[in-house]
Amino acid sequence: MNATARQLACLVFKDLRIEARSRQTLGLMVMLGVLVVVVLALGLGPQQVQSPALATSVLWVACLFGGVLCFEKTMAIEREDGALAAVLLAPVDRGVLYLAKLISNLLLMAVLALVVMPVAVVLLQFDLGPHLGWFVALMALSFVGFAALGTMLAAATGGSRLQGGLLAIVVLPACLPLIVTTTQLSVRMFAEGLAPTASALGVLIAFDAIFLVVCWLVFELVVEP
Amino acid sequence: MNALLQRYGPLFWMLTAALFAVMVVRVFFFTPVEATMGPVQKVFYLHLPAAISTFLACTVVFIASIGYLWQRRQFWDDLALAAAKVAVLLCSIVLISGMVWAREAWGTWWTWSPRLTFSLLLWLLYAVYLIIRPAIEPKQRRALVAAVYGIIAFIDVPLVYLSVRLMVDVHPVDVQLAPAMRTTLWISFVPVVLACVGLIAMGTLALRRSAPASVPQASAAGPASWPQVSLSMKSGGVT
Repeated sequence: MNATARQLACLVFKDLRIEARSRQTLGLMVMLGVLVVVVLALGLGPQQVQSPALATSVLWVACLFGGVLCFEKTMAIEREDGALAAVLLAPVDRGVLYLAKLISNLLLMAVLALVVMPVAVVLLQFDLGPHLGWFVALMALSFVGFAALGTMLAAATGGSRLQGGLLAIVVLPACLPLIVTTTQLSVRMFAEGLAPTASALGVLIAFDAIFLVVCWLVFELVVEP
Repeated sequence: MNALLQRYGPLFWMLTAALFAVMVVRVFFFTPVEATMGPVQKVFYLHLPAAISTFLACTVVFIASIGYLWQRRQFWDDLALAAAKVAVLLCSIVLISGMVWAREAWGTWWTWSPRLTFSLLLWLLYAVYLIIRPAIEPKQRRALVAAVYGIIAFIDVPLVYLSVRLMVDVHPVDVQLAPAMRTTLWISFVPVVLACVGLIAMGTLALRRSAPASVPQASAAGPASWPQVSLSMKSGGVT
């Protein structure tokens, strides 16, 4: 294992250890995700929730808000007691810091999806059946782009008055092209039975690549204790 | 540059206003009425130039944002802010004129076609750009975050342009116009693009004037808000 990989693993384990001890972020984001599904399912009523298009959208809304909360909390923890200043003083490339935070956020979001998806399947009578593999692939691809953007913007807006839920205002419009593409593909998959084409998946991968490279490049400019 | 704008600014706006008047006269009195849509089609002569000018303003935000990250000069931030304001204004005109067109052409004010969706998204992105700025302190950090956001927001511009070509969309791609209509369209481009450029220039100038004279610039070593630590060799420790 080379030095960069070791630093990366060390930083990710640090984040996961903090989360395992405090259990703050995961509990909050899972509860928010479940609440969003329940509230929207109740609001839409029993007739409409059976639509696959609506069920996909509800699931995405839950993941988006849960994700934004995740980015905000994981970066806020770093700012407590000047921890981020100490991490920044360490002889570690800022790009590695970004990747570590991104991986931590992605792992937390995977747990969120693992909890919220079964809840949505039950409450929205959502039949994942024949498309489960594609659906997971679409969610995973979208999560990478969404988390790439969210992690960087949480670092950029940290310490400002944008904290406290307003991070969503910044993150959601910026990642909407990615979300629109994913939800359209999901709706086509569930409503019309069409699997995503190679070009559609290429678009998602292109979004991920653009967001990852841009955010990785600018992270070191925007992060500060 | 400032002296040039102050001297020729009024002349520029008088010329732009005169060209707008020419455009209106040309659109309403010297351009044939479209056969299927009737007089409502005339909104097209504002819609397309405003859309292209929106792209122009967004490109200025993008270039100014890169300029700020590169040089950390306040000028780039002022330019980006002025261009973002113009982008929101022009995008609002595009959306409203497009809705008037859609009502007549498609029988509905709004439809979630890819181009309309990405255009609304463009408006949202630049409106958020303007809204988040006052919440970020100090000034250098605000400019830095805004520059990053200005670069990311620009990703939507090619999407608006390409959406109608890559995806199934009700929005027209290449509109076939009669020669008189095409001439009117080209005439309409001139005052709208001039107004776009003029508003960005005047907005930047106004921001430069209102800025306090002694604003510290961020150094290449990092933002000015970072704690300054100096190493003293004589005392043998950090002071």
